[in-house]
Amino acid sequence: MTERKSEVFQGTLDLMVLKTLEAMGPLHGYGIARRIEQLSEQLLRLNEGTVYASLLRLAQKGWIRSAWGTSENNRKARFYSISAAGCRQLAREAENWERFSGVVGRILQMQSEG
Amino acid sequence: MLTAIRVLASRFLGLFRREHFDHAMDEEFQSHLEMLADRFVSQGMTRDEALLAAKRQFGGVTQIQEELRERSSLAFIESLWADARYALRQMRKSPAFAATAVLTLALGIGANTAIFTLIDALMLRMVPVEQPQELYQVQFRVPQGGQPRDSITNALWENLRARQDVFSQVASWGQEQFNLAPGGAVQRANGVWVSGEYFGMLGVAPEVGRLITMADDQPGCAGVAVLSYDFWQRHYGGAAAAVGSTLALNGHPFTIIGVSAPGFYGLNVGGKFEVAAPNCSTRLLDGDRPRLAGRSYWWLRVVGRIKPGVTPQQLSARLGALSPQVWEAALPQDWDKDGQNNFRHRRFFAVPAATGLSDLRQDFGQPLAVLMAVVAVVLLIACANVAALMLARATAQQREIAVRMALGASRLRLIRYLLTHAMLLSAAGAVAGLVIARWGTTMLVATLTTRNRTVFLNLSLDWRVLAFTSGIALVTALLFGILPAFRSTQLPLTAAMHGATAGRTDRTSPLRRWIAAAQIALSLVLLITAGLFLRSFTKLVQLDPGFDRHNVLLVNASLRSTNLKSDQYIATFDAIQERLRALPGVAAVSRSRMTPLQGGQWSNLVFADSDAGVKAHDDTFLNAVTLGYFAILRTPLLSGRDFSAQDRAGAQQVAIVNQTFAQQSFPGQDPIGHILRISQSDGTKGPPIQVIGVVADAKYNDLREPMKPTVYLSVAQLTAQQSTNNSFELRSTLPLATMRGAIEAAVASVSREVPLEFYTLAEQVDDTLVQERLLAMLSGFFGAVALLLAMIGLYGVLSYLVTQRQTEFGIRIALGAQPSSILRLVMSDTFAMLTGGIIVGVVLSLATVQLLQKMLFGLSPHDATTMLIAIGVLAVVGLLAGFLPAHRATRVDPMVALRYE
Repeated sequence: MTERKSEVFQGTLDLMVLKTLEAMGPLHGYGIARRIEQLSEQLLRLNEGTVYASLLRLAQKGWIRSAWGTSENNRKARFYSISAAGCRQLAREAENWERFSGVVGRILQMQSEG
Repeated sequence: MLTAIRVLASRFLGLFRREHFDHAMDEEFQSHLEMLADRFVSQGMTRDEALLAAKRQFGGVTQIQEELRERSSLAFIESLWADARYALRQMRKSPAFAATAVLTLALGIGANTAIFTLIDALMLRMVPVEQPQELYQVQFRVPQGGQPRDSITNALWENLRARQDVFSQVASWGQEQFNLAPGGAVQRANGVWVSGEYFGMLGVAPEVGRLITMADDQPGCAGVAVLSYDFWQRHYGGAAAAVGSTLALNGHPFTIIGVSAPGFYGLNVGGKFEVAAPNCSTRLLDGDRPRLAGRSYWWLRVVGRIKPGVTPQQLSARLGALSPQVWEAALPQDWDKDGQNNFRHRRFFAVPAATGLSDLRQDFGQPLAVLMAVVAVVLLIACANVAALMLARATAQQREIAVRMALGASRLRLIRYLLTHAMLLSAAGAVAGLVIARWGTTMLVATLTTRNRTVFLNLSLDWRVLAFTSGIALVTALLFGILPAFRSTQLPLTAAMHGATAGRTDRTSPLRRWIAAAQIALSLVLLITAGLFLRSFTKLVQLDPGFDRHNVLLVNASLRSTNLKSDQYIATFDAIQERLRALPGVAAVSRSRMTPLQGGQWSNLVFADSDAGVKAHDDTFLNAVTLGYFAILRTPLLSGRDFSAQDRAGAQQVAIVNQTFAQQSFPGQDPIGHILRISQSDGTKGPPIQVIGVVADAKYNDLREPMKPTVYLSVAQLTAQQSTNNSFELRSTLPLATMRGAIEAAVASVSREVPLEFYTLAEQVDDTLVQERLLAMLSGFFGAVALLLAMIGLYGVLSYLVTQRQTEFGIRIALGAQPSSILRLVMSDTFAMLTGGIIVGVVLSLATVQLLQKMLFGLSPHDATTMLIAIGVLAVVGLLAGFLPAHRATRVDPMVALRYE
């Protein structure tokens, strides 16, 4: 049976994938996995397959599009790109995330009173 | 929200792109893995190592594929579809199981659908007219008058129509049975008198010609008629030429002006109109007593379309406020002071009429509710049977289930599969049930029809019936599916996998005993209900009504539509009676104004001059008869004399009274020689009438009511107005069919214009028992079905237990046990289930049968005899059902039984 990942993790991954596509332009699944690995400086090790679950979720919501193409080393690959709706969603999510992480950060830095 | 819809749509489309999606996913994953492997090779790994490392970093390929596949479409539907296909395959493999289950369910669901269809047609369906929910019927309350009434006089209608301001349109109509035949045997047509607004208000369109309008409904109008579509098809073959031709209604010509659209049957649910004519044309049939002018002639009902913006409360309030003026203006001048005072204080109000009106509702509403409960219980018992079957099936499939679970199928998934299986069975049962219901309802409606009332109900399927049937199919599937599904997936894997015989690991048998006992309890409730209705019906049939219903033919003749003068009526009836007396096969003939239980009554206030002064008796039943009437009906004359030829018009008026009247009016006295007076319509007392005899009591209107005080007058002394309609009683052992031709010929030899209706007295009595017969018949039938199902259930459980314990019995027999001790062993199981079931059944019955009180005649719902008979029947049949498997147990061959181990 597959373990159900937490909603938070799924949401975070979706956000990272969306941001990557916005920043890098059209990219295939392998490329996205590489980019996340690189940016996280090996801190975040993920099963690369889960990227595809994220891509399917985003595609179903209409936030990304895909088209078949050829990779730099001449392999057939599906390239994903962010849609206009995806850009809007990303802006909203990024803002939410900053507010949220700010709150969490402040709470974690709280001193015990007394 | 929008996003959610988009996801759903995408998933839904995914259902149809399964292969394409799988292929693309494979390709995408493959290229990802290879790119990853290329990278590892470039970092110095061998190709093989690199591929392995790539797969590791990617994560479980199959799992992810599975996860994506599930997300890509509506996984639930996909697996449902797979389950359904699998279940169908299973059913094809064991057709006997599937057939038994489907048949049992079809019976249960079919019975429920049939009764619900009737309830729907009679109570719930809106009449097929424009905006039926805007229609309201006008009714009124009588001071201290009990039930509201809905028939009004023409004077009231005209005043109400002129003064009302809360209906946008309002119309009235009255029902009538027309006679289409020129003379001789009556050919009836359901007629309706309508006001000019009727068809327009209802928005009914003409099929051909035109419908009745205000222009047709004017004082002094000519006779025009509109036919219903069905009548037009049947009598004119749908020929357009029918319009413009003439139709004789009670012997008077009416010009056909059009045909109403198909599907419109009038506002009376339970009947259908065939011929409609404007209210004004009643005068053509009424002669010198027109109902249009009669202020005591209650023949019209009123329905209106509520004005937009008016609430039902405002509608009723306004009608109530208008009432004093309307009733005052329509006051009958010939009523006495009290009557007029009561009349003035009657108040109108409105009730919704979207579902039409029906006299049947009052008669059959309650019986249908009881039957609905009965068939619901039958369905429960059927569910129990199918549940037991499913359990047995699941036991047989135990090893397969264990294997599937061991291979990783979740329990939930298996339960879902088993429930899908149940749903399929139930759906098949529902489809077959709809067929059974169609046939059943048609038959039921036929049993409601009597000679005086042809019941017509629109039984076409509508959304309500379909929703009901789907609903109970679903509930049924859950009822019989859930328990077996949970039970059979809850098993120790290893034992099942090892293929231990079903018996060892089977823990479903206590559950089965409970199911069987519950079935017994429920079927006992139904048997008791059936017993109560059957006995109640038998009591009514066997009741001595005070007359002998056998071998009496009734011939009703009306002179109203003939050309005879009213002073010739009595002589004409006398002449007809002479001819009938001369017919071969007729032992005796009498004549009367009313016949027993004909429906309808003639009653009045009667003053009796007893020794203790004058006593007034309200609602004394009246009849007028000839000499010989009591002899033919075998109602004994207790004292005094019968009428004689001397008791003719002009002579001293005489009367014979029944025992109840004699006791009430002349307690402790000999009534003979005393004087009676009957109240006249102007409130004064009529001429003195001398009592000449006393007869035994006889039922007048209804077998169920107590004997009513009755006064019999002499037919020869009635007024001409009271003599338009007489019935002849012929005592004859010949059947009506044989006599009919001769009777028609005999009457025709006097006048060819006289319309005749034929009955036997026995039929006439039977027709008053439709409701009881329906309840007795159906509850008896369903009681038998319930008993059969419960016994199949009991038999099934015991057979199963015997098979399970075969080895044990084998060993016992091998060790020298007597067959009788084995028999006792199994029968004690039967006893336990029967006793438990009967106790619960009795408790349930005692708690519920009270509801039947009103529908029973001459016995209490807690009638001990009925209960004992029901218990006896159940016990005997139950022991029989138990004996067969028990007997089989004693015949177990020890060698065969032990070899199974």
